Amino acid sequence: MSGYYIPSEGLQSFAQSLMAKMPVVAPVAKGKRFIFDQLGDVAELRLDYDTTVLPPKKVFFPPKQDLLEFDEGKATSCLDPQAKVLLGVHPYDIKAISMTDKLFSDNYADSNYLANREVAVIIGSNVQTPYERAFYGSIAQDLELVGHDAFLTKISDGYVLDVVTEKGEKLIADLGLADASAEQTSEAEGVNAKADEDCPVKLPFAAGDVSEKVRNSFKSEIWDELSKDCFSCGSCNLVCPTCYCFDVQDEWGLGASNGKRYRRWDGCLSSEFSEVSVQGGSENFRENRAERYRHRFMRKTAYLNDKLGAPACVGCGRCAGACTADIADPVNTITRIMES
Amino acid sequence: MCDGNNNVGQDGNILLPKEVEVVEAKKVTASETHFVLKMKNGDAMDYKPGQIVEAGVLGYGEVPLGFASSPTQTEKTGTFDLVVREVGKVTKALVSLQPGDTMTMRGPLGNGFPVEEFEGNDVLIVAGGIGLCPTRSMIKYILDKRDDFKKFTLFFGSRTPAEQLFVEDLDVWRGAEDVDYKEIVDNADENWKGKVGVITQLFKELDELNPETKVIICGPPIMYKFVIAELKGFDVPDENIFVDLERRMKCGVGKCGHCQINDKYVCMDGPVFRFSEIKDLEEAI
Amino acid sequence: MAKVRCAWFDFTSCEGCQIEMTNFGAPFLQLLDHVEIVEFREVMKETTDEPIDIAFIEGSFSREEDRARLESIRERAGVVIAFGACAATGGINALKNHMDMDDYKKCVYGDDSNMPHLDTQKAMPISAAIKVDMAINGCPMSRDEFVRIVTQVIHGTEKVYVPSYPVCVECKLRETVCRYEEGDHCLGPIALAGCGAPCPADGIPCEACRGMVVDANQESMEKVLQENGGMSEKRAKDKSRMFTANFRSDA
Repeated sequence: MSGYYIPSEGLQSFAQSLMAKMPVVAPVAKGKRFIFDQLGDVAELRLDYDTTVLPPKKVFFPPKQDLLEFDEGKATSCLDPQAKVLLGVHPYDIKAISMTDKLFSDNYADSNYLANREVAVIIGSNVQTPYERAFYGSIAQDLELVGHDAFLTKISDGYVLDVVTEKGEKLIADLGLADASAEQTSEAEGVNAKADEDCPVKLPFAAGDVSEKVRNSFKSEIWDELSKDCFSCGSCNLVCPTCYCFDVQDEWGLGASNGKRYRRWDGCLSSEFSEVSVQGGSENFRENRAERYRHRFMRKTAYLNDKLGAPACVGCGRCAGACTADIADPVNTITRIMES
Repeated sequence: MCDGNNNVGQDGNILLPKEVEVVEAKKVTASETHFVLKMKNGDAMDYKPGQIVEAGVLGYGEVPLGFASSPTQTEKTGTFDLVVREVGKVTKALVSLQPGDTMTMRGPLGNGFPVEEFEGNDVLIVAGGIGLCPTRSMIKYILDKRDDFKKFTLFFGSRTPAEQLFVEDLDVWRGAEDVDYKEIVDNADENWKGKVGVITQLFKELDELNPETKVIICGPPIMYKFVIAELKGFDVPDENIFVDLERRMKCGVGKCGHCQINDKYVCMDGPVFRFSEIKDLEEAI
Repeated sequence: MAKVRCAWFDFTSCEGCQIEMTNFGAPFLQLLDHVEIVEFREVMKETTDEPIDIAFIEGSFSREEDRARLESIRERAGVVIAFGACAATGGINALKNHMDMDDYKKCVYGDDSNMPHLDTQKAMPISAAIKVDMAINGCPMSRDEFVRIVTQVIHGTEKVYVPSYPVCVECKLRETVCRYEEGDHCLGPIALAGCGAPCPADGIPCEACRGMVVDANQESMEKVLQENGGMSEKRAKDKSRMFTANFRSDA
């Protein structure tokens, strides 16, 4: 649609003017890492972040989300979408959001996600500092970058803001932003064109080959070896921008008859994930850690490819960094399997 | 397959259940309760044999259950049946419900048996233990529309005579001419005069089995591969074998991921699968 | 709804979990709408020999002569809840389990170590003596979890859902930066969750006070404590003696 120019020193006042309209969720520092958080002070905004601990899906699909409340046997839905700007989303996360959009809309549309998603305005941002474990430059390349409403690209003396949807246009219409010059626009295009080259880690295999080889390795003993140090903690699942599994629990409240039903992010690496209660105990459809570890890689590289048009991995590298035993890095695991 | 959001609650929330009235609650074995239910608030329950619901009690949760009644019954009486085996927190809350109480429900969900494909054919149903509940929906359907089907054979195996479900039905089927009913128990008691052993032994009593027969298998996970092996002996092709699978189906709508087998969600793409479609899927059988 | 009769009892413990109760704020006072306290020696002098709906038992089972009292509580209680780490897992008391009794008595009590009431056996969870229905875990027990579990029990829930996953999950859900990323160590990967992971959020490593998850990968933990946590092999191997001695493969 249209391109605008924001000088470097104008970024904070741009963010400030968005905050005047609605809450802005953006990357801020936390310890040695970054997280997406609601901006209180615009000075906290860190568009130079490498990656965040949790992906921005948490804005639409919170780690713990109430689904319904009940009292005296009557249940009511807890949908309560709050309009927000999600600012500074990296391209790999935009791709992941377009995947979860699809997964939550297909077949049975899940309004618990979609209602939050629909009221959010997403402003992407190019990667200024690549995360050391990231490999987005060599995966999900065929996947179109869609789902965001605008995109900020850092150029030498400021930012170019590309607005790509009406929702985006509406958000910034009254901000009085200057149009980007042809020169600025072309510099931004240059920055984005070579973004993937700066990605630190490369996955040197085509998605189709990976999918086939991983599937064919289902019965291989390599999974036992690869998962030997696995804690079944599910950190790789929880930090993944394309994971969307959840558990549902009911909880009574302190009143006589009230309570709620909520969902919480779950992960296929946890031992209780595939467990069902049966007479006299339980039956677990993926009892050992190798089976669960394998399931995750099957799901990331093969199972969802038809549905998504790409593997369910965007190369953010969060799982690699989140795994204490450092066995979750898709680049390492896929390479081991491809070479086996 | 699923036909969109035709059974969603308020706000289009697919995870918000509807209300169902308990009409009858009968404890049928030490751990199983047979419920006769009726939708409340003017809601309808239009289902196919083999489909499932997420049945629940607010404050405790939901569990996936297959319909134990035929839609032909529901058309007549407006009621439908579920059988709950008490195994955990939610099922304990469910079996404590009494007539007049409210159960919550989302559904029908899942695909159900391809009834039209069964019409005009011989049918064999192999049910183990609680596997008789979801298959009872199809059994009753066939018996209600008996002329639409050819030879109908039913195998039922349970651990002990005391654990046999639907004893009144079994009495009828034992003497019935429109179904060839055979049963077996793993462990007999002093009153049991029937056969003792595993369910696959019942195949030995079949003189023949038309390879065109449509077969349904539902029972404990261990049972499937042995029954399928027997069917191979009668040259029944994989396309004619339908398995009704159990998994941890938490959301029932293909989202939460717990029941996933390869690219299939048991709750949404199943729970009924044509064996030829899943035989190469690891972790399925 | 009739009020639920609750009583607290203590065995081998510091009674800190009961003290923790008295630090409670609003949610506990709200809980009192549903609960009648019939015995609780930290806050009242009355005791009871009558049936109890819920018995909260603090402390580990570390002396055979405690068995009879535990059994009598079990007999008159509808629900028995192991209250805090010692009761649920043996807790920190199990720290001595691999040692010789004369050694640990001398080490702790010096010249007084010959007093007869100091003779103990291995510190075990109370489930080693009686059937326990559920546990409110932690050192001290988690107040939030106490309110949550008791609220479910008074609504008749017999099997309250408690997580079986490790503390790492709860750190991720609240987006705590991992202790290992901050150059620290942590037992989170093998520690049973349910507490909400408050310690790592405050910059303190998890010590697994709630015990270990089922099937905890202890070998991998020892490796990580050395390679990422900078511990010596001996320290890494001994690390799990503090709160989780009864979960060790050599227990």
